[in-house]
Amino acid sequence: MTTATAAVQTSENPGGPSANAASARLVTKAYGSGETRVTALDAVDVDIQRGRFTAIMGPSGSGKSTLMHCLAGLDTVTEGRIWIGDTEITGLKDKQLTKLRRDKIGFIFQSFNLLPTLNALENITLPMDIAGRKADQAWLEQVVETVGLADRLKHRPTQLSGGQQQRVAVARALAARPEIIFGDEPTGNLDSRSGSEVLTFLRRSVDELAQTIVMVTHDPVAAGYADRVLFLADGVIVDEMHAPTADSVLERMRRFDGKRTS
Amino acid sequence: MLLKLSLRSFLAHKGRMVLSLIAVVLSVAFVSGTLVFSNTATATFDKLFASTASDVAVQPKTDKLSAGQDQGGKTPVIPAGQVAEVAAQPGVKSATGEVMVENATLVNPATNKSVGPTSGAPTLVGAWTPTPGNPLTITSGQAPRDSSQIMLDADTAKKAKLGLGSPLRVITTIGSYDFTVSGIATFTTTNPGAAMAFTDVPTAQRDLLGSADFTSIETYGDGSRSNDQLKAEIASAVGGGFDVKTAAEQKSDGSKNLGFLDFMKYAMLGFAGISLLVGGFLIINTFSMLVAQRTREIGLMRAIGSSRRQVNQSVLIEALALGVLGSTLGLLAGLGLAEILIALMKSLGMNLQGALQIGWTVPVAAYAIGIVITVLAAWIPARRAGKISPMAALRDHGTPSEARANTIRAILGLVLTAGGGGLLVLAATAKKAATGGSYLGLGVLLTLVGFVVLGPLLSTGVIRVLGALLPALFGPSGKLAQRNAMRNPRRTGATAAALMIGLSLVTGASVVTSSMVSSATAQIDKSVGADYIVTSRTGGMSPAIVQAASGASGLAHITEQKILPANITTPDGKTTETQVDASSPTFVDDLHLPVTAGSPQAAFSGGISVDQTFAKDHNLSIGDKLAIDYGKGRTQSVPVALITTEGNSLSDHSFNTSIATVTEAVPAADQPLPVLLLGKAAPGADVEKSLSSLQDALTAYPQLSVKDQAGYKQIIQSQVDQLLYMVYGLLGLAIAVAVLGVVNTLALSVVERTREIGLLRAIGLSRRQLRRMIRLESVVIALFGALLGTGLGLAWGISSQKVLATQGLDTLTVPVGTIVVILLLSALVGLGAALLPAFRAGRMNVLAAIATD
Repeated sequence: MTTATAAVQTSENPGGPSANAASARLVTKAYGSGETRVTALDAVDVDIQRGRFTAIMGPSGSGKSTLMHCLAGLDTVTEGRIWIGDTEITGLKDKQLTKLRRDKIGFIFQSFNLLPTLNALENITLPMDIAGRKADQAWLEQVVETVGLADRLKHRPTQLSGGQQQRVAVARALAARPEIIFGDEPTGNLDSRSGSEVLTFLRRSVDELAQTIVMVTHDPVAAGYADRVLFLADGVIVDEMHAPTADSVLERMRRFDGKRTS
Repeated sequence: MLLKLSLRSFLAHKGRMVLSLIAVVLSVAFVSGTLVFSNTATATFDKLFASTASDVAVQPKTDKLSAGQDQGGKTPVIPAGQVAEVAAQPGVKSATGEVMVENATLVNPATNKSVGPTSGAPTLVGAWTPTPGNPLTITSGQAPRDSSQIMLDADTAKKAKLGLGSPLRVITTIGSYDFTVSGIATFTTTNPGAAMAFTDVPTAQRDLLGSADFTSIETYGDGSRSNDQLKAEIASAVGGGFDVKTAAEQKSDGSKNLGFLDFMKYAMLGFAGISLLVGGFLIINTFSMLVAQRTREIGLMRAIGSSRRQVNQSVLIEALALGVLGSTLGLLAGLGLAEILIALMKSLGMNLQGALQIGWTVPVAAYAIGIVITVLAAWIPARRAGKISPMAALRDHGTPSEARANTIRAILGLVLTAGGGGLLVLAATAKKAATGGSYLGLGVLLTLVGFVVLGPLLSTGVIRVLGALLPALFGPSGKLAQRNAMRNPRRTGATAAALMIGLSLVTGASVVTSSMVSSATAQIDKSVGADYIVTSRTGGMSPAIVQAASGASGLAHITEQKILPANITTPDGKTTETQVDASSPTFVDDLHLPVTAGSPQAAFSGGISVDQTFAKDHNLSIGDKLAIDYGKGRTQSVPVALITTEGNSLSDHSFNTSIATVTEAVPAADQPLPVLLLGKAAPGADVEKSLSSLQDALTAYPQLSVKDQAGYKQIIQSQVDQLLYMVYGLLGLAIAVAVLGVVNTLALSVVERTREIGLLRAIGLSRRQLRRMIRLESVVIALFGALLGTGLGLAWGISSQKVLATQGLDTLTVPVGTIVVILLLSALVGLGAALLPAFRAGRMNVLAAIATD
């Protein structure tokens, strides 16, 4: 296996492996070239600490989704370097990126998270199926219990409500014990009650299961569940807030709007 | 506005329309190509017949009771004296006696091989008479001047690599004659594929006819009378013993012999029909998917005030655009196809000269078929589009799961299939082949329609079973593939139906053909006692041949068989137009006639045999007298001495008697020549050795085929094989169109499932796994179609065999090898069809796929 490890670039994560689940250094993402060049991310440095719940906020077009996509290895960067755990992912081939996503990352999207042809349980175990791994049965039961889906496991996604579907997506992300979970507006399509349910699960999985979660959102209430909020504007991290509340986040966001209108 | 929207949408989705377009183009191309080819061929032949016909021709009178030259019949002639008689008529400018026979063989002495066509077209040998209607002109050398010279047509000379000065042998019913090629003549019109050779007139009369007669008199008028007047005057001059025909009548005689062109036309139109049918499914599927994908868009249209009618029409207008484009391209492709067919005919020796004959019918047929099929196929999806409610615009996403196949469909399908199945069983157990046949036809139709209707319902069940192994074998890709194949039963059903139709036809046909071979082989084993079978490619066998065969060593006997056309009148007063098979008495050892009543020996000593059906139909029993009329006033009354058991293709429909019995009515000199010789090895003789001795004895006659039983079986096999090649051609076409269907379905599914694919890739499905998933889905759909097809085909084939069992198809053989190959091929078809869609899915950008709305 020496060749395999040699193929993967393993330069040290600058923040140290123990502290950070993911790190980015001087990450720039630009589209087009010359006069039509648009910079979505401009030399961003970021560290995502292990076992914490991080929210990324910012107005539309601030680059928050792009940052998440780059961190998760879904998108390539124009410049800069990104690490997931100890592995530098910038420069990895598609095959290695796929393997990395499969083994180390969990995803929760805003909508269309589940395959309509598989039932809830099959959707939850899908990443492990793909990897050819057996699910850890005790862990799986615990996850299913945590998200409260024990009696819905045989249902197809079309037979579940939107909130239930998102909870299945959360369970899927948790079940494979990834190093880090990325959520792209995971509650964006839910009513406030279902949304708060899902967010409570995410919070609990950080507190009780020591999971690392990064969530992009534009909802101050959702961000209020996080340990730390990063504020992005025009492709740059402009602010950071620890132990936020919905009100404090809302207050901070208003300043963006104020700046815009002035 | 509506039109503009439809056309915009057509253009926007042109990529997705390509495969449907190909299907329309293929079907239309077959139809228009076939029509253009057959128009062109007919036109050239009409021109040929018009240019070669004389104003008035006098021919020997023939009727249904004269044995043709191909049946060993004597060449009918006109006495030489009649030429002067005809020439003396007023208004006749010239009258030329011609000699032309079809029962001679041209042989290259250097190789001892036949020269000339082997595929049905005649070899014509005659006298060179430069009349205005002669279709050849001398292009090198000179016309034959004495009894040692012969002239050959250029095409045959080129094919046989013969030139001026080459030796050429002519084997006639009188003897074998050696000539030297003195000239080469070239067709000035279309060469219909025949080989032609000419000697001078006295030589032709002596060597071909054995008398100083002619086979026809070609007359040209001086212009003072019409052909009809000329005909009437000549007819009264020569008397009633001859047929007198005007140019127009000769021309229509010639056109009657073009049956093979009709056969080609109908076979090709059959191909076109299949591709139309299969293409129809493809179009239905394409439009269904387009409508499903555009549900939101259509919902929006409805919400802002479009009526159902308008939505419906907008889909149909798109179909119309597809139909018009497809028909136009198909028409052009059809012209190309016609050119290819003409080139193909040329390679077989038939030169069709002149421009393509298109006429107004071809474009009309092309557009009618292309447009009607497309619009008809889009009808159901269009109706479905009309039913989309404005609410659809508000729903979350655009690909709703299609409604579950409903109970009406289930009941309809079950009723059709059960009815069809019942008819197939009835057909199999029917006593009479004719009633069985009509049950069979209806049963085939009903089961086919039933299966098409039931397809979507069956798909869920069959694929659950078929795909049960996939998860175990291929892990998550297998599981996802199985689920994907089952998720849209209607679509899977229609896609598989396209493949099913072709494969069911092929399977059914291969069951019938392999049963044909095994039945024939079994019958030969059971009833043929002869060790050797001699047949001729050109008419009858001269006495010299029979003598040579009899002279071979190690033979117990040689049996001759002659065929005499005859009218048989039974005691019930009915007359049957048929033929009598007259053979040497040793025939009873060569063919073991199955006996119901009487004895074979009696049939060959003064009696005749009839088959069971004929005996039953005419209420005959042993000893009843049959009145047999051989024409020209020759009649006799022969008692029935043998009734043969039905179900033996070698004796059914045959009337067997001895040559001696026939000779009582027809003098030996007027009997046709034998067309079949059967030989038996002497007791104790080495069967192999006797075969080579017989072959050696007949080596001077390359037109003969000398086979032992095994060789004879091979001939039957190869005849059936030719039929099979056509079936395989059909299979190829059906599969090609069906592959388009599978590619189409998968490609559209991949587009439709973009988000799903993005999600799978995001959570770690590798490109390889993704591609495998799509390939497996494709294989499962293909195998599903193949299973239905082979199942249906087997039912059809077995039922057909049972229907034909009384006609000699009494041994059922299921070609297991062929069916396994068909199934394997279908799996390969599935793999092949998935190549492009899988490639496209693999290349999809994960991020873009997730972001797709």
